[in-house]
Amino acid sequence: MIWQIIKKQGLLFLRNPQQLLLLIALPIILVMILGTALSGMMNGSSSPLSLKIAFLESEGEEEQVKAFLADVKEQLPVEAFAEIEANLGNMLPVSTIKSVFDSEEVRDFIEVEYLKPSERNEIIKDDSYTAVIEVPKNFSYDLLTTMIVGGTAPTLKVTYNEEKQVGTSIIASFLTQMQNQFTKQNFLAQQGIQLSELAVEEMKAEIVTVNEKNPIEATSYYTIGMVVMNVLFIAGAISYYAFHEKQIGVFNRIILADVSRWVYFTGVFLTGMIFSFIQAIVIFAFSWLVFGISWPDVGLFLLVTVAFSFAVGGLTVFLSALNYKLNSEMITNFFMNIIVILLSVLGGSFFPIGDYVPAIQSMGNMTPNGSGLSAYISILRGENIAAISENLLFLVGFGMIMILIAVLCFPKRGVSA
Amino acid sequence: MIELVNLSKRFKQMYAVKNLNMFIEKGEIIGLLGPNGAGKSTAISMLSSLIEPTSGDVLYQNKSILKNPSAFRKIVGMVPQDIALYEDLTAEENLMFFGRIYQLSGKELSRKVDEVLEQIGLRDRKKDIVKKFSGGMKRRLNIGVAMLHDPELLIMDEPTVGIDPQSRSYILETVKRFNEERQMTVLYTSHYMEEVEFLCDRIYIMDKGNLIAAGTKDEIKQILSSENTISITVERLNDAFIEALEQHPMTNRVTIGEKEVTILVPRETKAFSEIIKLAESTKLDLVSVDNKTPTLEDVFLHLTGRALRD
Repeated sequence: MIWQIIKKQGLLFLRNPQQLLLLIALPIILVMILGTALSGMMNGSSSPLSLKIAFLESEGEEEQVKAFLADVKEQLPVEAFAEIEANLGNMLPVSTIKSVFDSEEVRDFIEVEYLKPSERNEIIKDDSYTAVIEVPKNFSYDLLTTMIVGGTAPTLKVTYNEEKQVGTSIIASFLTQMQNQFTKQNFLAQQGIQLSELAVEEMKAEIVTVNEKNPIEATSYYTIGMVVMNVLFIAGAISYYAFHEKQIGVFNRIILADVSRWVYFTGVFLTGMIFSFIQAIVIFAFSWLVFGISWPDVGLFLLVTVAFSFAVGGLTVFLSALNYKLNSEMITNFFMNIIVILLSVLGGSFFPIGDYVPAIQSMGNMTPNGSGLSAYISILRGENIAAISENLLFLVGFGMIMILIAVLCFPKRGVSA
Repeated sequence: MIELVNLSKRFKQMYAVKNLNMFIEKGEIIGLLGPNGAGKSTAISMLSSLIEPTSGDVLYQNKSILKNPSAFRKIVGMVPQDIALYEDLTAEENLMFFGRIYQLSGKELSRKVDEVLEQIGLRDRKKDIVKKFSGGMKRRLNIGVAMLHDPELLIMDEPTVGIDPQSRSYILETVKRFNEERQMTVLYTSHYMEEVEFLCDRIYIMDKGNLIAAGTKDEIKQILSSENTISITVERLNDAFIEALEQHPMTNRVTIGEKEVTILVPRETKAFSEIIKLAESTKLDLVSVDNKTPTLEDVFLHLTGRALRD
């Protein structure tokens, strides 16, 4: 009996090419558009922000380092001096700043021009610069002395272009971060903690952070984003069909055939679950064939897809039951036109907004699509079942709550004319 | 076979059906008449166990169907007022789906589907999508679905609404044939008097949720035995004539058409001479004055003061 309900829905989808196009072709088209248009932003190969900085250095760092070593040699024990000399490469302030600016990640959105201090006045007049960083005389010498012997630390002079507020805040944040790094080094050096180990550890930590965001390609992200968004439309479409069955009297016919309303209810739930699973698999199969998106762990991928389909099945009976209860398809219309879009934005289907606003990430994970998206991305990053267990539990729990509410709303007998 | 006992249904403060008492014997065709909003559909929804009554009971073979409707549902075929079909499926796919819902399968299902397609005259169109059918063909398929499990009682809720006269005639003949060949009991609701007069052995008339008359066709027409229905056709009606008719002591009821006025008068009244006098005094040109045989429509008019299709 339940199979007949599912089969009938399959036939109705097949006879409605427009709907099939919306459910299958539209997400694929969106993946192609968003994947291409936003790939630069996602992959970090280009940026909508383009900052230009002038870096003015009064004198070379090498001479200052030589002078520093000569001066501290007499003040320190031989072993301590040897250690400082060996690790000096990690402690050079100007070289460190330059290496950050010259790194591949930063170079994509910050253009740094190394100029002479004599050009300062012209540069200040040029509006194209976001900031001018001036390294005063003896800066490296003074900073290294402060770090090892103590005293007042020298300061960099930074002139910001007030018309470029977003850019200046980014540069300021950059410099603050570097300043913290040196202040920490300064403190630790004075406490006698070995600098060599610490410096290596901090660098390592930074590399890990960068690597966490890189592996997901834009097309992979948007394939998942569009699947978890568009699968929600299956719940709306099937609940619409279910309400139509009520309106034209098919539901009453089914009840009069002495079929339990729970059989019908289960049929609607399984229809939602199975067709959302099929829809997701079709789009993922397409993305595998065309974009080469493959899953490192197919078992986990299928597990998440089943859990997500379960949640969508629950959503399908929830919407159907509310439509029956209110005798209106208003709920489905509201869901399709408003709620799906809100859930998609919150869940990160259009943009990984949660990466920038942690609060939204948490809220997104409380939506079925957001939770599904997080789980799929974790699998693509090669994580194991432990990393997605919370998402799986949420999806199953969400589905069960929806089913429970639907059970309470569903009509006891047939429905009146 | 089936009895409705003081059956009522209230939606919020309004009674859709109030204290309805009916009985249906095996093999009868029963007509349930009434204008739109009379409570017919609510009554048959309760009778078929689809909705629970606010009070009262429905007895099938002297047992209440309210607590355990399963046995009753097996013998009922329902033809709803709406086309309760999947319009994107073919006629055959619809019958197969509903046949399986009725627990039919395999060869029995195929045989039954073929048989029903033959009975409703759609065998040649079985592979066609329903939405391409005419209104009459959809109505026939709507009936066919209800016939799949050979029901003992067929409940038909205005099955001929919105179709052409030829299709209507086909449906009426089919219902008559089902009743005669299979001894099928039929409850037929309609607001078309001529359909009910053609088909039904006994008739119940409802208005505003109440049962206002019941009996055989002749018994119901006897309600009008104390009155004559007189139809007056004129060249051009004028207000003075209508006013004079309404105020005349012989007139019990006046119904006004475009060029026709129908009046109910006591049987012993010499109405013709009075009507001619009124026409002369109001300068009205009469075309004809007929003493009509009472119809169910006249009965309804007599009982409610309204035409059935108002």
